[in-house]
Amino acid sequence: MSTTRERASARKRYSIGKSVLDTVDERMGSSKFLTSVFDKIFPDHWSFMVGEIAMDSLIILIATGIYLTLFYVPSQTDVVYAPTSGHVYLPLVGQHMSEAYKSVIDITFNVKFGLIMRQAHHWAALIFLAAVIFHMCRIFFTGAFRKPREVNWIIGLLLWQIVSLEGFTGYSLPDDLLSGTGIRVIYSIVQAIPFNIGSWLVYNLWGGRFPGTVFIPRLFVVHEFLFPLLIVGLLTAHLMILWHQKHTDFPGPGKTETNIRGSRIWPQYALKAGGLMMMVSAATFFLAGFVQINPVWLYGPYTPFNVTAGSQPDWYLGWLDGFVRLWPHWEFRSFGVEIPNPFFPGLLFPGIIFGIMFAWPWIDKKIYNDYGSHNLLDRPRDKPFRTGFGVAAIIFFAILTVGCGTDILANNLHIGFERIYQYLQYGMIVGPVVGFTIAFRTCKALQLTDAHPIQKPLGGVIYRTSTGAYHTVGEAHGEDHGAEHAPAEAAADGRGAEELHSPVGGD
Amino acid sequence: MTTTDDSLSQPQHEGHRGEETDVTAAERIPPGRNPRHFGIDPSEPWPDDVPMDQDDTHWRYEHDPKGARRAELRVAACWTVTLLASLGLAVVYIIDANNQLAGLCWALAFAGLGIGLILWARDLMPGHDVIASRGHHDVSAVADRVAAAESLSRGVDAMARRSFLTKLLLPVGAVFGLATIFPLASLGPRAKADLTKTSWGKGTRAVTQDGTPIRPTDLPVDGILTVFPEGHMDDALSPTLLINVGTDNFRMTKANQGWNIPVSGGGNIVAFSKICTHAGCPASLYNVQSKQLVCPCHQSTFDVLLDCKPVFGPAPRSLPQLPLTVNSDGYIVSQSDYTQPVGPGFWSRG
Amino acid sequence: MTRILRHRRLLAGPAALLALAFVAFSVLFLTGGSAHGQQALVSTNPQDIADGQALYQAHCQSCHGYQGQGGVVKGAPALISVGAAAADFYLSTGRMPLNAPNNEALRHKPAFTQTEIRQLVAYVNALPQINGTNVSGPTIPTVQPLCSDQTTATTTDQNCVTLGEGQALYALNCAECHQAVGSGNILSKGNTIPSLRAATLVQAAEAPLIGPRPMPMFKEFTPHQLSAIAHYVQYLHKPDSPGGAGISYMGPVAEGFFGILIGFVVLWFAARMIGTRG
Repeated sequence: MSTTRERASARKRYSIGKSVLDTVDERMGSSKFLTSVFDKIFPDHWSFMVGEIAMDSLIILIATGIYLTLFYVPSQTDVVYAPTSGHVYLPLVGQHMSEAYKSVIDITFNVKFGLIMRQAHHWAALIFLAAVIFHMCRIFFTGAFRKPREVNWIIGLLLWQIVSLEGFTGYSLPDDLLSGTGIRVIYSIVQAIPFNIGSWLVYNLWGGRFPGTVFIPRLFVVHEFLFPLLIVGLLTAHLMILWHQKHTDFPGPGKTETNIRGSRIWPQYALKAGGLMMMVSAATFFLAGFVQINPVWLYGPYTPFNVTAGSQPDWYLGWLDGFVRLWPHWEFRSFGVEIPNPFFPGLLFPGIIFGIMFAWPWIDKKIYNDYGSHNLLDRPRDKPFRTGFGVAAIIFFAILTVGCGTDILANNLHIGFERIYQYLQYGMIVGPVVGFTIAFRTCKALQLTDAHPIQKPLGGVIYRTSTGAYHTVGEAHGEDHGAEHAPAEAAADGRGAEELHSPVGGD
Repeated sequence: MTTTDDSLSQPQHEGHRGEETDVTAAERIPPGRNPRHFGIDPSEPWPDDVPMDQDDTHWRYEHDPKGARRAELRVAACWTVTLLASLGLAVVYIIDANNQLAGLCWALAFAGLGIGLILWARDLMPGHDVIASRGHHDVSAVADRVAAAESLSRGVDAMARRSFLTKLLLPVGAVFGLATIFPLASLGPRAKADLTKTSWGKGTRAVTQDGTPIRPTDLPVDGILTVFPEGHMDDALSPTLLINVGTDNFRMTKANQGWNIPVSGGGNIVAFSKICTHAGCPASLYNVQSKQLVCPCHQSTFDVLLDCKPVFGPAPRSLPQLPLTVNSDGYIVSQSDYTQPVGPGFWSRG
Repeated sequence: MTRILRHRRLLAGPAALLALAFVAFSVLFLTGGSAHGQQALVSTNPQDIADGQALYQAHCQSCHGYQGQGGVVKGAPALISVGAAAADFYLSTGRMPLNAPNNEALRHKPAFTQTEIRQLVAYVNALPQINGTNVSGPTIPTVQPLCSDQTTATTTDQNCVTLGEGQALYALNCAECHQAVGSGNILSKGNTIPSLRAATLVQAAEAPLIGPRPMPMFKEFTPHQLSAIAHYVQYLHKPDSPGGAGISYMGPVAEGFFGILIGFVVLWFAARMIGTRG
């Protein structure tokens, strides 16, 4: 029911909006483009939100990061902690430390809201990487990397790697006991780059022998400028390509390779996305307020001769540290060269693994002899080999990640770490094989039964037609508007209409 | 969307802008073909029977004014939380900036705003379910492709006419590219042979963190002490562990004969590099019971009695031993630098 | 108002009370205010030694031998010259008595009461005398108090310690095994590195002196250094944690677990609620 007044005000709103758009259009010729922006459709399957969580975390990281930059001092100059004003952290009084470490202590104790910004920054980084990795898995298992989206897969992988390194540089900036130890290990891995390049590189990056006095300032430039520039640049490309190519979508009713189904960006999706970003911020700040992260004041300043038990990287680089731990004590020396031990787990095998990941879209084409373009996604069960391979990779990375906590694990399980190493070393080989087999067979079985692997079989809804016949139709689950679309949802498995007469499970 | 009984066997997606399409999604798929496997063949003409813009203009509480009012209040309540939390944030800042209260206020403010937005979109806004054509983004029309290829070959042809210049550009570019590396060389000094050298030398006194020199009697049996070459606290490769291994059977070989200091009244002091040969962490967890040194980074374990031979973990080589002696003043000094390279390996070490 | 009241009360209070308070304060100050502050750290009272001997014969002799001479069970050391600090440390942390000599000596609820421990310590302390040797081990250290003003970088006062001194010593000598925040870890061959959150001031000062295996010995520490370490260990029981829950102060492993579990999983569910599930 619309009254005259309502119609009048609607007209007024319309004319204001139009005059704004016209003003822009007369300068940019933008109306066609803006229409496409307002009308853009995003499929709103929940798993598509994970990439957005990553992007939201990045926004939090940039905001909190800029704040922290205003207080952080990127300097390795040796100072003695002896503050004359503000809150004094007693256990560090009289100690030698770098200016960088001192500035982090000051951010913690003497900058109001400095600590919560620092903790939010760190938690957001952990959540960021979790979202990035989950997003990557989603893309892999549903075949979203296939033509025409190979380039975005490559950009995504690059983003994952740069973001991991960005996380590591951030972890290293406070110059506390834990991060200094991390830098020491990275120094050894860089030094293990083949031939003289390694020694040349460490001398150039560290300005001489470890630890030197220039590394933290340089790391700051990398963390604040170089990597953020790359990340934002690559992310822009990632999103522009996504925008141009449009989202993939799960097969479903009314969905074909040539159309797209979802919510319009304006207003539906914009509001949801904005809401999700607020939720990501809420979760980050909740953790930042209530769970302490990286208490550098308790670790103390870094010196090359001090170390703390339980020295680990943040979780997203745990797999690399775990690999370095679990790799056997091999080292080769002949013909005047030595292949140092960290070369294999720290450089060679990560290189091979990355190589496979980068090449996967083309490997996948070969395996399935499928060189065509796809906008509709695969269900993981329909590509058992790919799914099995992905499960094997996840198990491999998971075991390596657990490997970075061998000592913590041993201590908590009251088993010697020697045995934990043995289990994980076997697990790192056997686990992926077992995982592949189970996943492969599960996929095959699911193809036959078409049951959902996790959700319980759903009861169908029985409908009676006007001619008196009965049809059982799979029940849509979960969605708020599911009930009214029940028959449509039933076709969500992509079966033709003729299959609707048998009870089906949801997907 | 109302469903009649008869529409069930023919699922249809109804358009809401009133443009009923005669072809439904399910029908466009050839019978028996699974749409999952329905790839795009670039050689096929693009289908132009795609239903355009079936817009869902309905919203959840469209026909339920009371429900809509309730939904509106829910959103308003969420945003009230944000408002209060923002005020709380100001109060917390002024009082003492307690981290927990600050976190609570930030989280509530964000969550209120976020949940409100999501509820608003979910309950009171249209456009949940829209179907539209993807458009022709993947593949261009044949004429366009031809045009692009022609434009490209305009330049390529011109280059091909002067193939000498084209071929010259590659090596010139490569050499120039290498030359641009030189600014990077200013980052640090050239790698010298000192990557494994330490500051220990003939007669260098071993001192503690505060610079005190050590006498053999300072270190009891089962004692361990981190020492530095006097005056070189900042040399990261030099930290050394002095260990009194007691009367235990320390393995003496030809190489390390006379590198230890026997202590009168029981005891035998040896010195090993604190820098792990694996990745350079200080390998300094000393297990007196088994006389093993463990590295806290990757759990490489060294048997002190076997000249710090690695017995577990990824470390490939023994910790180097520092030759010790006692100078005329009775202080522990080194006989020379380490005879084995200190720290982790690298390629050119040989 | 309050100042006047206090003033009046002070004036009204008997001088004797003031004097008594002063004496009590100085005694407490001189002995470091530790639990053992009220009496001598190690008793030399013959009655205590005799009671200790009775307890020793009942609970310890089967392994450590007659008059602490050892040699009864493999792995059970002679106690003649271990000193009072070792006896006090092992008994007050419940590491002794041990069911079997091969068991790892870990912290338990003490098997003896404080009085009994005091008597046993007195007996062990008297063992060199009883056995006629003159080699005695370290006695229970006196822990110096924390300086009242720790904000100045250099304290010249050798009778009190600062947390700063303690942190520096702890970072170099203790953190590598016991972890920077005293959470403990694990050594080779499954040997436990205990958490330090239960160590009392005196126990924290005793351990470096006696080197309870598999821990090495740090006899070179001066009483001043020992006190500084002990106070820092005490501080680590409840370290400054303005950031919130410490999650066992385990470091990045626990943090990563939380980040993925709490942060990401919550958001995952949020995404599921916002998005559709098809």
